[in-house]
Amino acid sequence: MEYFQDNLPLEGIKVLETAQGVSGPYAGKLLASLGAQVVKVELPEGDWSRHIPPFLAETNRKESSALYLYNNTGKKSVVLDWRTAEGLQKLIDLSTSSDVLIEDWDSSERKSLRIDQETFRADNPRLVEISITPFGLSGPYNEYKSTPIIQLALGGVLNLIGNPGQEPLMLPGHQPDYLTGINASNAVQIALWDRDFFGNAGSFLELTMLETLANVHQAPLDMDGGIRQRSGHRQSPLSSNGFPPGVCTVAAKDGYITFGGGSPGIWEQLCLMLGRLDLFEDENFSNVFENPESGPIVDRVMESWMASKTRAEVFEEASSIWMLPVSPVKNINEVLDDQQYAARKAFQTVFHPEAGEASYPSPTFIADGKKMHISRAPLIGEHTKEYV
Amino acid sequence: MSKESSGTVTDTISTGALRNLRVIDLTRVWAGPLGTRALADFGAEIIKVSDPRIPLSRVGKVNDKLNRNKLNIALRLDKPEGRDVFLDLVSIADVVIENFRPRVMRNLDVTYDRLLEVNPNLLMCSMPGFGLDGPYSEYPAFGSTAEAMAGINSMIGYDPQRPLQTGLSYADPVSGLNLVSTILAFARRRGLTGKGNFIDLALADSPLGTLGEYFVANSSNGYIQKPHGNVHTQYSPHGAFRCKGNDQWIAISITNDVQWSRFKDQVNDPRLSRTCYANVSSRKNNENAINKIIEEWTLNKDATELMELLQVEGIPSGKVSNNLEVLNDVHLNARDYFSYLTPEDGEEEKYDGQAIPGNQKEREEWFPMKNLGEDSSNILLNYLGYSKLKYLSLIENEVIS
Repeated sequence: MEYFQDNLPLEGIKVLETAQGVSGPYAGKLLASLGAQVVKVELPEGDWSRHIPPFLAETNRKESSALYLYNNTGKKSVVLDWRTAEGLQKLIDLSTSSDVLIEDWDSSERKSLRIDQETFRADNPRLVEISITPFGLSGPYNEYKSTPIIQLALGGVLNLIGNPGQEPLMLPGHQPDYLTGINASNAVQIALWDRDFFGNAGSFLELTMLETLANVHQAPLDMDGGIRQRSGHRQSPLSSNGFPPGVCTVAAKDGYITFGGGSPGIWEQLCLMLGRLDLFEDENFSNVFENPESGPIVDRVMESWMASKTRAEVFEEASSIWMLPVSPVKNINEVLDDQQYAARKAFQTVFHPEAGEASYPSPTFIADGKKMHISRAPLIGEHTKEYV
Repeated sequence: MSKESSGTVTDTISTGALRNLRVIDLTRVWAGPLGTRALADFGAEIIKVSDPRIPLSRVGKVNDKLNRNKLNIALRLDKPEGRDVFLDLVSIADVVIENFRPRVMRNLDVTYDRLLEVNPNLLMCSMPGFGLDGPYSEYPAFGSTAEAMAGINSMIGYDPQRPLQTGLSYADPVSGLNLVSTILAFARRRGLTGKGNFIDLALADSPLGTLGEYFVANSSNGYIQKPHGNVHTQYSPHGAFRCKGNDQWIAISITNDVQWSRFKDQVNDPRLSRTCYANVSSRKNNENAINKIIEEWTLNKDATELMELLQVEGIPSGKVSNNLEVLNDVHLNARDYFSYLTPEDGEEEKYDGQAIPGNQKEREEWFPMKNLGEDSSNILLNYLGYSKLKYLSLIENEVIS
C-alpha cells in the first residue's frame, strides 16, 4: 500500500504543543499525520510520558517509552523552560508564527505562570489555542486532581464495566486521554475552518476530559429514568427494555469470543446456528435482563457448541454462514498478527535511533486506498537549535 | 461549501462554524450518528436518509439523543426512482457518509465511483465493520465485537484468564469521534483544492489508535498486559472502594508518596502507618492487604463527601457515578454542559451537550430528532426544485414518505 502524500489536508498549518502525556500529544500526533507541522515544546526534564513504562530500551529509558514514542510521531522537539520569565517569552515568540497552540495548564498552573486567555493571542489573533484539562478552568472540580480511573469514575464509564455488585473496572491505559485527544483534533479543525473559510479570528477553546466522557455513552444519561448496571461478560442493554441472551463473551476451545446482537433477528440466527430454535421460540428467553437465569443457560449452550471449535473456526462460521456479528477476543500480539489488519496495513514499522524498530498503529483510516505515513518521535530537544 | 450548489433553501441554517457544509448521512445505529451529530451541533446541514418502512425507534431515546439537529428524508434507495432522488441529493452535497456492509452500496449501485458521476468533487466516507477490503470485509460487526478484535478486552477483567467487555461498545464512540477529525481534514482539503476523496474508516480499526503504546511495546519486546482488576503498573493504592449505600463506590488513585502520606493521615489506621508503606514498591507488594484496610474505612462513608474531603488534600479521587448521577453532577451542571430539547408535543428533555468546544450552532437553533420523512417535502421541492407533481408521484409510488 502506498502512503497518501499529495496535498495533505493540514499542509502549512503550524502547531505548537506544550501539552504533555496523552490527550494533547495525541491531538498533535493526529494533526501531524494529517500534514500539520507540529513543534513539541518540552521542559528540560521532558514530557512526563517519557518516564512511563514499558520502555523499549532499558539503556535509554528517556528515549524509549512506548507511550511517548507512539504519541509523538511526526513532531519536532524543542526544549524550553516556560516556567522562567525568559522561557515563557520565547514560547510567546514561537506562538506568534503558529496557527495552533495545544496546552494543558490547569487553573493553578495558569496562576503561577501568570498566563491568561490573551497571553498568546494578543499579538496573534489568528491563533487557535486549545486548553485541555480534566475538568476545565472553572466549576467546582476545576482544581481536582485526576488520573484516568478518576475520569472514568466521574464520567459514568467505570460504573458500566465489571460484574454486577463487584468492583467497577477501568479501561486499560489512557482511554479518557485518547478520546479527549481526538476531540481536541476535532475542535482545532473546526476552529481552523471558521478562521480560514469565513475569515474569522482564531479562538480560545476549553476542552475537558469529563465532558468528553459524558459524551460517549450510547444511551441518554437519564435513559427514561433507569440506572444502567454493570453486566459482566454481557453487553449492557441500551435501554431499560433489555434484550435477548447470547450477547456476551464466552469461551471457545482456545480462548474467548464475543457475540454481538440485541435484536430478535440476531437471536434467531444464533439459535439456528446452535440448532436450538426452541430457545428462540421460548418466551422465557426473549429478555435476559427480565429473566436473568436465561443468561447462564444460553452461555452453557453456546460454550458446549464451541467446546471443540477454535475462535477462528467459530468466527468464520458465525460470520460467513450465519451473518452474526462475532469476534474473537484477541490479545495484543494476536492483533498484530491478524490477517485483516495486515491486509489493511493497520500497522507500520517505524525505526527510532534509540528505541529501535516497532509496529505502530497507522492513522485509523484509508484515503483513496492509501494510509497516512507516520515518522518517528523526536529525541528530546532534537530541534531546539532550529527553532530557538 | 455548498453555497453555490444549494438551489433555493428555505430552512437556512445560519449559525455555527460548519454552516457551509452539507452532509448526506446514511449512517445508522451509533458510531456514524455520533460523528454526524458533532458536525450538526456546529451548524453543518445533515440530511439523514432513512428507510420509510422502518419507524425511527424511540426506545430508550437512543436515536433521539444521537440525531438532534439533523434533517430527515425518508427514501427507498432500493427503488430505481429512489436511487435517482438520492443521486440528485448527492449532486448538491459536500459529503456522503454511510456505514452499511460493503455489499449494500455495491448492490444499490451507489459506490463512490458512481456518485462521482453526479458530483465530481464529492467527499465520501464509508464506515464498514472491518473495512472495505480484506478477508473479513463482508463480515458483520458491532461496536462490541470490533472492540474484541482490536485487543482492548484482553486487558479488562478481574481474572487474567477471563476477559470482559467494556460495556459501552467502545469501537463505536471512538469511530464516531474519529469520523469528525477525518471528515474535517478532508473537507478542508476539498475546500482548498476542489478535490474530494474517498475515506474508508473501519469500526474495528479505530480502537487500535487508542491502544498504540501496547502495540509499540509488544512488537518490540513482547510486553503483554493481562486483566488484573484495577491494579496499576505504577500507582498504588489504585482502584474503586465500596462506600455507604447501594452500589456506591469511590475511585482512589495515589500517584506518588506525598499523596500517600496525606492519604494515610486521613484514614488514620495504625496498620497503614508502617514506615515501609511510605514507598510505592512496598505498597505494591502489600496491595491486597492495604486495599482491604482502605475499604473498611470507606465502607460507611458517603462517596461524594469522601471525594470532596480527599480532593481538598490533593488526592486524586472521584465518586463512581452512574448515568443518573452524571446527569446531576454539580460540576457538569455548573459548566452548563447539558442541552435541553423540547419535542413538538412534549416536555423539555435533558440530554448530553457537545464536548467539542468552539463556534457551535446557537442553542436557540438546536432542534430535537425529526420524525421519519419530516423534511422530505422541503428537501425535494426546495433543495432539489422538484415539481409538486413529481413529488406527489414519488409519494404515490411509495418511494418517499
